[in-house]
Amino acid sequence: YRDLHTFELQAPTRLIEWARGNRVCVAGYGQSDGNEILQLIPPPTLLTEETQGLCPERDFKVECGGFSERPVYSLKYVPDTSLLVTSGPPDSSLQVWQVSAEDSDVIKSVSTVTTENGTGQSWAKIAIISARASWVLHGSRLNRVQITEVESRKNVYTAASRGSEELSGLAFLDCNTLLLCCATGRLCLADIRQPQSLMDAMSVPSAPCSEQWCMGTRHGAQGLEPVARLSSRGLLTLTDLRKISEFLALAKARVPSPGSGAEFLCVSWAPALKGYLAISGFDGTVHVYDTQSWDNSGREAEPIFVHKGHAFGGAGGSGDPPLVTVHTWHLQKPRTLLSAASDGSLHVWDWVQPCGKC
Amino acid sequence: RRFPDFSYITQNGRLTDFLDCVIISHFHLDHCGALPYFSEMVGYDGPIYMTHPTKAICPILLEDYRKITVDKKGETNFFTSQMIKDCMKKVVAVHLHQTVQVDEELEIKAYYAGHVLGAAMFQIKVGCESVVYTGDYNMTPDRHLGAAWIDKCRPDLLISESTYATTIRDSKRCRERDFLKKVHETVERGGKVLIPVFALGRAQELCILLETFWERMNLKAPIYFSTGLTEKANHYYKLFITWTNQKIRKTFVQRNMFEFKHIKAFDRAFADNPGPMVVFATPGMLHAGQSLQIFRKWAGNEKNMVIMPGYCVQGTVGHKILSGQRKLEMEGRQILEVKMQVEYMSFSAHADAKGIMQLIRQAEPRNVLLVHGEAKKMEFLKQKIEQEFHVSCFMPANGETTTILTNPCIPVDISLGLLKRETAIGPLPDAKKPKLMHGTLLMKDNSFRLVSPEQALKELGLAEHQLRFTCRVHIQDPRKEHETVLRVYNHLKGILKDYSVQHLPDGSITVESILIQATAHSEDQGTKVLLVSWTYQDEELGSYLTSLLKKGLPQST
Repeated sequence: YRDLHTFELQAPTRLIEWARGNRVCVAGYGQSDGNEILQLIPPPTLLTEETQGLCPERDFKVECGGFSERPVYSLKYVPDTSLLVTSGPPDSSLQVWQVSAEDSDVIKSVSTVTTENGTGQSWAKIAIISARASWVLHGSRLNRVQITEVESRKNVYTAASRGSEELSGLAFLDCNTLLLCCATGRLCLADIRQPQSLMDAMSVPSAPCSEQWCMGTRHGAQGLEPVARLSSRGLLTLTDLRKISEFLALAKARVPSPGSGAEFLCVSWAPALKGYLAISGFDGTVHVYDTQSWDNSGREAEPIFVHKGHAFGGAGGSGDPPLVTVHTWHLQKPRTLLSAASDGSLHVWDWVQPCGKC
Repeated sequence: RRFPDFSYITQNGRLTDFLDCVIISHFHLDHCGALPYFSEMVGYDGPIYMTHPTKAICPILLEDYRKITVDKKGETNFFTSQMIKDCMKKVVAVHLHQTVQVDEELEIKAYYAGHVLGAAMFQIKVGCESVVYTGDYNMTPDRHLGAAWIDKCRPDLLISESTYATTIRDSKRCRERDFLKKVHETVERGGKVLIPVFALGRAQELCILLETFWERMNLKAPIYFSTGLTEKANHYYKLFITWTNQKIRKTFVQRNMFEFKHIKAFDRAFADNPGPMVVFATPGMLHAGQSLQIFRKWAGNEKNMVIMPGYCVQGTVGHKILSGQRKLEMEGRQILEVKMQVEYMSFSAHADAKGIMQLIRQAEPRNVLLVHGEAKKMEFLKQKIEQEFHVSCFMPANGETTTILTNPCIPVDISLGLLKRETAIGPLPDAKKPKLMHGTLLMKDNSFRLVSPEQALKELGLAEHQLRFTCRVHIQDPRKEHETVLRVYNHLKGILKDYSVQHLPDGSITVESILIQATAHSEDQGTKVLLVSWTYQDEELGSYLTSLLKKGLPQST
């Protein structure tokens, strides 16, 4: 490590979202109501370029907070507004909140975007793109994907139905193109200018046992970057969306098996390091990989770095070992990540590139 | 303005009459710095309470404060050394959990607050109304102090400090690790580390930390602690060993936790020794004395480091270098160039939001008031407290008055006779459930008594009035009276199965204590008149019976 800071939240979070002004947002997902949404100001150590070891201000400050009656599984800030949306069980509706840090530090519940409820309990995955003010892409299943303009609560787009599989993630590839990832691993592309078409992208390598998949996307300087998909068994695929018929790369991460399920599977590309991605959700660790050396073979890949902090922290002993619920990369500092675990811990860590590489 | 404006307390200036007592929570200057001014210059002459360690340590800090202000800065209109001594003579020291009777009405009790040696939270009680003021406290134990604790005293108001209420703190382990890393790096490259400290407090914490680290890493560089400091500190900690945490108390039996293997007494001459070393020296803000002397010697070498362990008052060298100043003007217009590394380390222990919630959960107050905070907006925390504990939470600004409504309990004596009588009726009550009793409340002079109505009447010399109601119900029945009575009796017996319905030899019917008699109507032989008679106590049953009879008798019978 170059640096490591550990914090303890009052309640564990399964999301870490960056907001304007380098703010970080976390929220509780516990069973009972009274979950808190917290918008935090990170300590100055996280905001400056150089890492200062001893600094007067080393703490996160709660800038504002809100109370949610339902567990918060997903949260996104709505571009160009002072609103944010959250989603969580028992249904796929979105809760809209107002963040007004001027006169009050309370995040107020403003409205709800209701959706038709399908069968079963699932919650909406959410995506935004900064170029589209007030637009939120959301849906819990492949046949329930829509874009809502949050301020007016008007529906702007509804995707054609191509099956009712559960979604594990969705993203804007650009202002007009959507990428949908099903829990089965199936990827679909959609052009919002042509509502009736939904193009099937890749499937995933078939596996003896059913596994769940999630995806990670990134907007690079050169436009579209490969899409990464991670399975609950630790398989990683990279796909170039311009050459959908083949895998760009296929590798296997060394993860414990049987896995802990797919609840907290998370894969993300580093914003500042080309070809680097991080995965978590299998245990109390976060792995960082350099995918530039990967090929199609599906061989086991060696992580560049493994953050084990969550497995060692906390009270220890009692109960299940902590499970990393989410991780995210710092937007400017290239090797800094934030990760949270099921015991309420929140870590901020900066890893050192191993020798021999640059 | 150096000292608080005490005219806020009372306009007429007679503080000794107005105030019942003064309580000092701990020895930090922001809590006791104006005490000698208050008692010797403003003229408060009443009782002053604080814990034993606070009483022992306050005068040291006050004298230090006086020295900087008067000797160094040349200020006048400040309290003198003699005033500090005179002030402390008026102090009454209290023990933890000891109920101190300030006067016939007012009692106070101190609770352990953590934070620094001797810090206490105080419960202030008059009758059954009470307020708890926390001072500064800490809910997580550290290396030399335990965590704050209070019992379920259910005060009407809990006044809590909220310095770190909106903060999520970096873990102590990370803080300590970074501190040790800095010290180690400096010492490894042959540099000297200066840590200016106050006589007591964090210094002990850091000593324990360094000692443990030196032992584990088998380091050889010497660590020194200012002369005078060691003896004093050890003396106080030995004296007040019960105020430290559990672990220290346990190990103290084997060895004195504050007698260190790797930490030696410092001698002025050592500052010139070559090679690496770590020195703890007073005072803490580099404003005078030994720490400043050492600083001047070491400042010019970039291999050296100074680590400021806490807050520095404006105007002190500590404050200047923390603000980034690297050229300091010393006495005699000498310029000191600071090339040594300047670091800051905050180990101060205050409760965060989680800790505040914990304390509220322990004490179960009816209202909460937050003070000593820095965030202007704490609406979120206020809502959090109100939602979780269903109590009102207040956050007044300086100068604002808050009104808190209390529900005082009024104790009332119940007469033994009444108690016996009430408990005799019905099954034995569940110990946890309230039982409804009836009695008469007598308020005479300042006493309240609950007695039976008969007892009350007797004491007041009043005769009991009996209220009896009689109602006439007409019934169409040509038969003789005694036959009507029989019909009524059978009818009532059939309906009122849970009641005692009796047919008396004299021809009347009783339902419980209600009497029913039948007579013939004076003018109409076909009509019978039922007289239903009951006392006030049986009003409900009597009305019910009457309406029942008014409905008429069934044809059979």
